[in-house]
Amino acid sequence: MEDHEILAKFQHPASRNLAFNQLVRKYQSKVYWHVRKMVVDHDDADDLTQDVFVKVWKHLENFRQDAQLFTWIYRIATNECLSFLSSKRRKFLLPLNDVGAELAAKIEADPAVAGDEVELKLQQAILRLPDKQRLVFNLRYYDEMPYEQMAEVTGTSVGALKASYHHAVKKVEEYVTQHSQE
Amino acid sequence: MNKPFKLDEHPRRPRPLLSEPPAGYFNQLPTRVMARLPRAEAPTTSGWAWQQLLQLPASLRTALATTLLLGGFAASFWLSNPAPPAAVASLDAVPENQLVNYLLNSGTRVENTDLAVLAAAHPELPGTFLHASDEELTDALDAQPIDESVYF
Repeated sequence: MEDHEILAKFQHPASRNLAFNQLVRKYQSKVYWHVRKMVVDHDDADDLTQDVFVKVWKHLENFRQDAQLFTWIYRIATNECLSFLSSKRRKFLLPLNDVGAELAAKIEADPAVAGDEVELKLQQAILRLPDKQRLVFNLRYYDEMPYEQMAEVTGTSVGALKASYHHAVKKVEEYVTQHSQE
Repeated sequence: MNKPFKLDEHPRRPRPLLSEPPAGYFNQLPTRVMARLPRAEAPTTSGWAWQQLLQLPASLRTALATTLLLGGFAASFWLSNPAPPAAVASLDAVPENQLVNYLLNSGTRVENTDLAVLAAAHPELPGTFLHASDEELTDALDAQPIDESVYF
């Protein structure tokens, strides 16, 4: 079902639940993996994915169609992730690097990356990036999202996003190079 | 020394190597999300009314509260005063000539004892319907013929 059909059905109380169910089915995988890349842990990603869709439900009626629906959902998901990581840091009084190290430890324990040393180092390097820079890296490197769309999701200028991605790539390459020598 | 790592040369994956979510996760997720959605609640009339009242300016709320308070006092005052008996109230509405005709034509005769009891109970009452001074009354009595046979 196309986005405009979902939105049209959502406007009618009789078909609202059905339309929203279709919306969740259409975007759940993308939202889940976008969140999962940021928080790593499945349970956290599960909670946050649900929170994202509950927020989408609450605000979909006021959604202005001058932006793409998925870009808007991505933006909500991004804000939820950043808020989650920020509150986690505040709750446990953790400095920036400790959360990255905690996430990196979770990656190390994940059986999916076992045996792939370069991939493990790459993931550790990515998780050590500051949250917003990591977000930019994920959107560009994994999702291959155009910078213009990234600008809508993050509310940042295209120039700033390009610079941020460039710096992120440099940091990741340096980390993997250094730690592969050990 | 190892070769410097270049991201462009590394095989690109659609996402990091992370374990997949549990089997059937995406089949169940829509149901779980739908269960968490807030139910649409129609505002109750009383709740809506209170919300409207709370949104009034403070001066209007004060005026409204004062009016309600005074109205309450008036109502309690009105209710605390006993209403006149219905019989008396309805008699007041009957014209005097109708009352006189009724008394004259009905079988019930007013006896002297009735008047005596009434005058004893309400000494001021005769004055309200007998508009005559003591002298006038004395003259009227003296003018009456005396039937001495009654007393002898």
